[in-house]
Amino acid sequence: MAQRATRLPYGVGSISARWIVSAVLLAVVAIAGWYGWSREISQGMIVTGLRNIGPMGGATWGIDVVFVVYFVGVSFAGITVAALIRLAKLTALKPIARMAEALTVVSLVLAAFAIMYDLGQPLRGIVNLFRYARPQSPFFGTFTLVISGYLIASLVYLYLDGRRDAAECAKAPGRLQWFHRLWAAGYRDTPAERERHDRASFWLAIAIVPLLITAHSTLGFVFGLQVGRPGWYSALQAPAFVLLAGVSGLGMLIVIAAVVRRTVTDRSHLPDEVFRWLGNALMILLLAYLYFMVVELLTNIYTGAERERDVTGQLISGDFAWIYWSSVAAFVVSLGLLIVRFVRKSAAVGLLVTAGVLVNLAAIGKRYLTVIPSQTHGTLLPYETGSYAPTWVEYIEVIGLFAFGALLLTLFAKLFPIMPVKDGDAA
Amino acid sequence: MARYGMVIDLDRCTGCRGCMESCKIENNTPQGSYWMYVFRFEEGEFPATQVRFMPRPCMHCDNAPCVKVCPVGARYKRDDGLVATDWERCIGCRYCEVACPYGVNTFNWGHPEEHYYFDWNAEGVAPEARGAVPPWDNPSLDEAYGPEERHIAGAGQAKGVVDKCTFCVQLVENDSDPACVHNCPVRALVFGDLDDPGSAPSRLLQQKPSFRLLEEAGTEPRVHYVGGNPPTTETRQIEAATAEV
Repeated sequence: MAQRATRLPYGVGSISARWIVSAVLLAVVAIAGWYGWSREISQGMIVTGLRNIGPMGGATWGIDVVFVVYFVGVSFAGITVAALIRLAKLTALKPIARMAEALTVVSLVLAAFAIMYDLGQPLRGIVNLFRYARPQSPFFGTFTLVISGYLIASLVYLYLDGRRDAAECAKAPGRLQWFHRLWAAGYRDTPAERERHDRASFWLAIAIVPLLITAHSTLGFVFGLQVGRPGWYSALQAPAFVLLAGVSGLGMLIVIAAVVRRTVTDRSHLPDEVFRWLGNALMILLLAYLYFMVVELLTNIYTGAERERDVTGQLISGDFAWIYWSSVAAFVVSLGLLIVRFVRKSAAVGLLVTAGVLVNLAAIGKRYLTVIPSQTHGTLLPYETGSYAPTWVEYIEVIGLFAFGALLLTLFAKLFPIMPVKDGDAA
Repeated sequence: MARYGMVIDLDRCTGCRGCMESCKIENNTPQGSYWMYVFRFEEGEFPATQVRFMPRPCMHCDNAPCVKVCPVGARYKRDDGLVATDWERCIGCRYCEVACPYGVNTFNWGHPEEHYYFDWNAEGVAPEARGAVPPWDNPSLDEAYGPEERHIAGAGQAKGVVDKCTFCVQLVENDSDPACVHNCPVRALVFGDLDDPGSAPSRLLQQKPSFRLLEEAGTEPRVHYVGGNPPTTETRQIEAATAEV
């Protein structure tokens, strides 16, 4: 009874039967994904649908790489929101700062897993990337800037931003008190402490913004610097990666914010204004991305070299047309929904969530179209046209990653308030 | 120091694919892995069709895209012009494979030892082999080569790593030609020091007009072709070699 009186905010520490069931389900799916990976480790990547480019007529990078790119893209959300709050003084977005940061951390962890799934020798990968790292390789940025730098910066930001609430939660006795005490680490919320803490977060936000551009660009360079694959070699590749990262990241954040509003809190703590801001930001990024898509398409069909045109032809009227046009349709429908919401000036969370889900599906489609066709249909010597179909191992790995990510987020929400408890004044 | 290269005379090539065969045996490449690949092309409209052949080893580019992108330096350029793969260091990310415009890289998708065409341990093989060293037992493939002392020879050395044509480094370092050159019945392949104007490949290049594949990609290949034309976008491959694992 005493415990109920000092209950922690936002359902932290209180575990319902429904929560346990969903957590167990997510864990089972995540473990199934790792079982897929174990097949890959024991039998080799022969269990995937990947094969050599060229004589073997395959794609050597498949949906593992597609989802590396996708998950890194989703991680865009946290940094953007943190930067908007701190640097653009958008205090309206404060309620979602923590879940955005958590989304960034989780999606980067998932991206790191997806990279490991793609390596033929994962253990060597961990060791040799430290021992023999070559900054000349575009992959170097993926490992250092994206996976390490971005992840560490986001973790530090999440930690700093949460100290105040940790100190607040640590006042309540219970099983989680040690954890909140550890997080607070002696923080007592005195005015001097608060000021120093705000200054630290401010400078961290400033440091993080260039990371935002460079990290997502680096991932674009992995493809954009390759002259040997028609469809990849383009100066537009890096900026387009940044934009699509923003689109998928904000889309996912809208979905998560709506879920939190449904399950953990209500309108008073997560007001409509938050969703209006997210919807507008997503609309602007989506417009810019669609502009990039048109420019890219026009350049390739109007003046592209023969092989470039072949690959583009496969996208618009060939083997990949159904993915291409359904992605385009999903983008256009989402844009329509966002514009309707903008005109009606209401939050219309239902419309926003639909748009958020659609842009993420379309982003996955677009990432797939970046990675695969240039390998199977983009050989510069006259090899046979290739093909690629993922096997159950690859599918279960990816589904397992989504489940693992959802599990991490739900666990986090039970350990720590997913929304700020004490609203800060500074920003 | 010698800087090696290869000149391929397309006028001589008969498309017999003997080079592919000898490469497989010398380097012990597993199923579906062709370090040397011979294209058989058909051009023109019936009845004015023409069949052509084009061997395609690794180009051992001087500005190799695969070397540039390797995140751990497993793929590297040797001073003698060879582009080598250190199978002890490779992490299997296959970035070299997507970066290569020529499609020469092969990855060990499964356990290589389970993916050979022929079981040398099978019953009745030993008397027929009469003491010949089987490809998988070739001791020269496991040695370290070059001043860097790195393990770069042979295929199928480990699961989950990339390999490709080495110009038979185990033979070249012992002053011999690569296996494909040895085995060509019509001497269509010529190997040697391209920096030495008196070497066989250099003399061939002086005699005949030559081209390199995908010159526009800026990779500066060390494999030159004489006596023919590069494939165009109209060129169709016929009789592709089966490459499955």
